[in-house]
Amino acid sequence: MRILKPSRIILYILLVLFAILTVLPLWSCVVTALKTSKEVIFTTPITPPLRPTLVPLMESLDYLKRPLMNSLVLVGSGVMVSCFFGSILGYVFSKRRFRGSMVLFILVILCLYIPPQVQLIPTVRVASNLGLHGNLGSLVLLYMLFGIPMCAFIFKTLYDDEIPDSFINAAKVDGAGTWTIYRRIILPLSVIPFVVAALLQVTIIWNDFIWGLVLTTGKVNLPVTVAMANLKGSFVAKWNLQMAGALWITLPTLIIFIFLGKYIIRGYSGM
Amino acid sequence: MDPKKKEKIITLLIILPALVSIFFFYYCFTGWNFLISLTDWKGFIPSYNLVGFKNYVTLFHDPIFWTSLKNNLLLILLFVPGVILIGLILAVLIDQKVRGANVFRTIYLLPFALSFVVTAALWTWMYSPRVGTINVLLGKLGLGFLKSGWITDPTIVMYCIIIALIWQFFGYSGIIFLAGIRSIPESQIAAAKVDGASSFTLYRRIVFPQLKASFVTAFIIFMCFALKAFDFIWVLNRGGPGYSSHILGVTMYKETFALDKFAYGAAYSTIILVLSLVIVVPFLYRLYRR
Repeated sequence: MRILKPSRIILYILLVLFAILTVLPLWSCVVTALKTSKEVIFTTPITPPLRPTLVPLMESLDYLKRPLMNSLVLVGSGVMVSCFFGSILGYVFSKRRFRGSMVLFILVILCLYIPPQVQLIPTVRVASNLGLHGNLGSLVLLYMLFGIPMCAFIFKTLYDDEIPDSFINAAKVDGAGTWTIYRRIILPLSVIPFVVAALLQVTIIWNDFIWGLVLTTGKVNLPVTVAMANLKGSFVAKWNLQMAGALWITLPTLIIFIFLGKYIIRGYSGM
Repeated sequence: MDPKKKEKIITLLIILPALVSIFFFYYCFTGWNFLISLTDWKGFIPSYNLVGFKNYVTLFHDPIFWTSLKNNLLLILLFVPGVILIGLILAVLIDQKVRGANVFRTIYLLPFALSFVVTAALWTWMYSPRVGTINVLLGKLGLGFLKSGWITDPTIVMYCIIIALIWQFFGYSGIIFLAGIRSIPESQIAAAKVDGASSFTLYRRIVFPQLKASFVTAFIIFMCFALKAFDFIWVLNRGGPGYSSHILGVTMYKETFALDKFAYGAAYSTIILVLSLVIVVPFLYRLYRR
């Protein structure tokens, strides 16, 4: 669908304009993170630093070091568990339907739309009863559960599209049971679904804020987003420090999006 | 035992652990939250009494509730259509066989990778009245008269928040619609061209009517993000100045965890849940009715 030649110039101008608007806050963040406090005040927020400095990056890394490790732990444990259970649910809902399985599937999908505020209070109560309130353990457990509905949804749609039912039926004829089919046929064909679901969970858990805010206390337990919010609150006028901190948090997800963005798009589309 | 029956039992057994735990977390906690909202439970004091719907009555007489509800609806009504409209325009633009379409697409998607916490930090800096990017740039461009207090001005703070959220999601919205446009068979478009349809007619008559699925997808996703805007607003300015950018999630958090009024906070959560279900359930019903 090509539109007339002269208007193509306007087209590119518009696209570039959108791109500039998109990049402007990010650019401002990067250049500010590389400036000294003095330079932040005496230069405009978009001019590149005259004498780039790594001090704000180092200082904020010092503040965020432990939280970055914490978030890494959360991502690692949460992603593996929720992907595993998600793939089993996806397999059953896609290839092993039984009476009522559709209703169960819809109930799983509905979980995606329950706002987190609803579970905050009961979760805090349960976590404190288990003696986990305030430390990282509560979040580890939470993120294992939390991502399962989303993963189940992704695995079901991808299994529906990519693995023909005839494979399963052939295996059934050969006498393979539910579990054998999962292990021998489904799992080996699940590389892409696992990548899609895992990347999505990585970004969701890494970027999540409200659960860390409510469930963890004390500097050693914080996930990186909560630590960043604290950094923002305690160094109000130190813009270079704040931007440097934002940069550290963004780096992993940004890299994922730039190089593996197409998988993420697949996971979200059709939701 | 009959092997068919055995397989059925195994199937149930392998999904049971996951199903039980997520239904417990999502549905039992939702019910529990509703029960809490019917009590006078405060903080971590274990004793409480049932008080019926007293919390809801208090809530409906609370001006802060109405402010939050109003802001929440404003957010949904401006953010969701805004991000869909801009996404649609962007998708049509990228669809014109532009060079470097992939580069543009990656750039537009970048803000979507950010945490709300990071977006909030970036936009606090953008909106900062004295040294922030927007006011400084306006000054340099000779548009100093447009300078404003932005998020420190209670009359426009909600609009500032909505603009920042649209910034974060419009690229993603564009990609949803681009995927929708690309899935329309080439033959239909070729046929319309043979019939002499102009680009404008082509989009209006052939393309847009077939994007219904993309519209629904986008609507429901952005609706959910609008309900999750708590993270962004809390880090940006804690719902300030004053109560001017409180949404229901912010008020709920403050009532519960700052003022220790757990039961009252639970009543807020129930309202948030009802608000999102009213929108989502009809959608799911239509999607899975067959």
